[in-house]
Amino acid sequence: MSKENEYKEIFLAEAVESHEELNRLITELEKRPDDKKSVDAIFRITHTLKGNASGMGFKTIADFAHVVEDIFSAIREKKLVLDDQIFSSLFKSIDVLGELIHAVKTGVNVQYRGIKTKLEVILNSLKDNKKTDTEDSKSSDYEETATNNGFPEDDKTTTLPQQKPEGFEYDNNDADTAQKQAADETEPAESSKIIFSDHVQVPVRKLDNLLNLVGELVIERDRIIGLNSEKISTSEYSRLNRISSDLQYSVMDVRLVQVSFLFNKFHRIVRDTASLENKSVSLTLKGTETEIDRNILQIISDSLIHLIRNAIGHGIESMADRKNVGKPEEGNLTLKAISESDAVIIEVSDDGRGIDTNKIREKAIRNGFLTEAEAKNFNDNDIVLMIFEPGFSTADDVSELSGRGVGMDVVKKALDSIGGAVSVTTQKGIGTTFSLRLPASMAVKGTLLFELQHITYAIPLSYTDAVISIRKKEIYKVSNGLVTSHLGKTIPLVFLQDIFELPYANLINESKVLHKTYDSTPADKALNIVIVSYNTRIMGIVVDKLLQQKEIVEKPLMKPFDNVKLINGVTILGNGHVCPVLNVATLFNLIFIRNYTTKKN
Amino acid sequence: MQDKKESKLNKEAEHNRESLQLIVFKLGEEDYGIKISQIKEVVLTPSITKMPQTPAYVKGVANIRGNIIGIIDLEEKFGIRPGITTEEANQRNNYTLVVESETFKMGALVTEVPNTLTVSTAAIEKEVELVHNKNVDTGYIQGIVKLKNRLVILIDIFRVLTEDEAEKIELPQHEVG
Repeated sequence: MSKENEYKEIFLAEAVESHEELNRLITELEKRPDDKKSVDAIFRITHTLKGNASGMGFKTIADFAHVVEDIFSAIREKKLVLDDQIFSSLFKSIDVLGELIHAVKTGVNVQYRGIKTKLEVILNSLKDNKKTDTEDSKSSDYEETATNNGFPEDDKTTTLPQQKPEGFEYDNNDADTAQKQAADETEPAESSKIIFSDHVQVPVRKLDNLLNLVGELVIERDRIIGLNSEKISTSEYSRLNRISSDLQYSVMDVRLVQVSFLFNKFHRIVRDTASLENKSVSLTLKGTETEIDRNILQIISDSLIHLIRNAIGHGIESMADRKNVGKPEEGNLTLKAISESDAVIIEVSDDGRGIDTNKIREKAIRNGFLTEAEAKNFNDNDIVLMIFEPGFSTADDVSELSGRGVGMDVVKKALDSIGGAVSVTTQKGIGTTFSLRLPASMAVKGTLLFELQHITYAIPLSYTDAVISIRKKEIYKVSNGLVTSHLGKTIPLVFLQDIFELPYANLINESKVLHKTYDSTPADKALNIVIVSYNTRIMGIVVDKLLQQKEIVEKPLMKPFDNVKLINGVTILGNGHVCPVLNVATLFNLIFIRNYTTKKN
Repeated sequence: MQDKKESKLNKEAEHNRESLQLIVFKLGEEDYGIKISQIKEVVLTPSITKMPQTPAYVKGVANIRGNIIGIIDLEEKFGIRPGITTEEANQRNNYTLVVESETFKMGALVTEVPNTLTVSTAAIEKEVELVHNKNVDTGYIQGIVKLKNRLVILIDIFRVLTEDEAEKIELPQHEVG
């Protein structure tokens, strides 16, 4: 299906729903004409409908909804008093609106001018009385709501339709004429038809369940094929393979949404943030048709808000400053989505002052995050990543929106939870780009399996750099920890066993805790080590045995394990056993935050 | 007031006529019972995978028909015998009672095949005076079922692992200054 048709279907589904809601609300309103809530709700729904219809180019619906909206705006401002006559016109107009929506699909010609004119007459009679007053309050009303709307608004729809059909004047006689015409158009049989939408709304929970089941099916398929590989040739399974893969991709596809779904909401946030900061910022959206898993989009939405607020608060300079350095007064913020095989990259770029890497370096040293020697070794792009450390902030002042030193580590955490990554490029005086690399789907994850104490664990490949084997004598004790050298660099090392055996995480500060397994290991023993990296840091994890790489479907941990931080989730292996998936981010935090605290003490 | 008393009496009479189905199993030397409505199924214990950073009586997780379920050792939790390792648990406990509520699923290890037992609610003594060990919360004991020649301790399995108990599993967070 083409994008155009897909949009049309979505529009129709929403419009039919809006129409039903309008029907319900107006019936309620008739019972209690003073109910301000219903009036507000109808006004809001017609306004949205108008915006969506004009965005789709359905001018008749947009114009008609616009008139209804004006009527309710008048009711809201108490300029129009609801009586039986007006109610009958309103009911009629909502029926006509429903027919117009239906006509988008069927192409049927709907008579709507009579009732529309009648509503306009009602409006105009009001306007003659208090013309200036209405115009003023209305135009400001529009400006506020327009930014919140996903669809681009046609300028035409925001001004009152001024065309008056010939032969109509604005006195009460004409209202009668119009009513007659309206009565002529009534076709009772059609107006009471029930319309079904072609869309089904499904709770995400059900989709999650479906995806889980498909994931298990794929695992089971691989297991059975593996079991019988000697007896039956794998080509026997080609149909099974194809069908189950198609099924998997279809389910994944159902969960995909366009990033525009989220991006369009940022117009308002940018505007509000900029006005609060007294700055002028325009938002550019690129690649909005890129598709991504709905849950992933939800998880990173807060992070994107943080990044945007930070970019406006700290990145983009004040108007005066921009003028001084020869930039246009209006700053620009770009949100860009790029699709890349199995990943989606979302970039947030500003054309502001850039991040002062020297400031970060100073602060990292001052607050004990890095030693001076370490800070020197980090290049500019690496040092910028320090802002994602918990409790790190470069903002010297605390502004209302950002810069409290929380924010950035929240971004990092959200990305960790879905196996994403972040990188930053910044150029002083030119701007900063935050680039978020996200998996396009949550379905499968590449992992490396390893064994420890006869239990198989998985570690996400996105954190794994290399696997090496060294002898124990190449490992040295340094203070409370262990180090070895890898590719000419000295890296910290832990025996995973020691970490797992800790009953409480804070015991890691006790001396010798991390030497336990090391001390009981013979000097000549070859040790298997997985080199993992996370946010510029590298570390080695000692495990018992390395197994193969495997695509897994990860399941979240349920109670009472949802608080186990070192394990991110579990998967079921081909043999039916449960395999925990290591949370590398927590492991790093555990090891390195310990270092900060010991340094500070 | 009068009404209240009357309805209470009625209720009690109704109670006496009602019967209750229990799943009965042995922990240590004693018989324990759980209301059948709290039990989802009884399965042969699958292979248990140990989880780090959990209390000792939590033996790990297991895959029961595609569901990942936490397995607890009630004998250890109730202090009936000293704890065993996950490996030992894998060998010793043949059956797992799967309990399910809206919020969680859990498996409890038992060594022998559990039986069903129908008892009249009248046979359940609800207010039991126990010799309390101050350190052990016995709130999960719902009553004692008195039968001809044996006693069954009726427990509320959901209360055994209540919310705050589950939270104790959480590691103390690092303070980052």
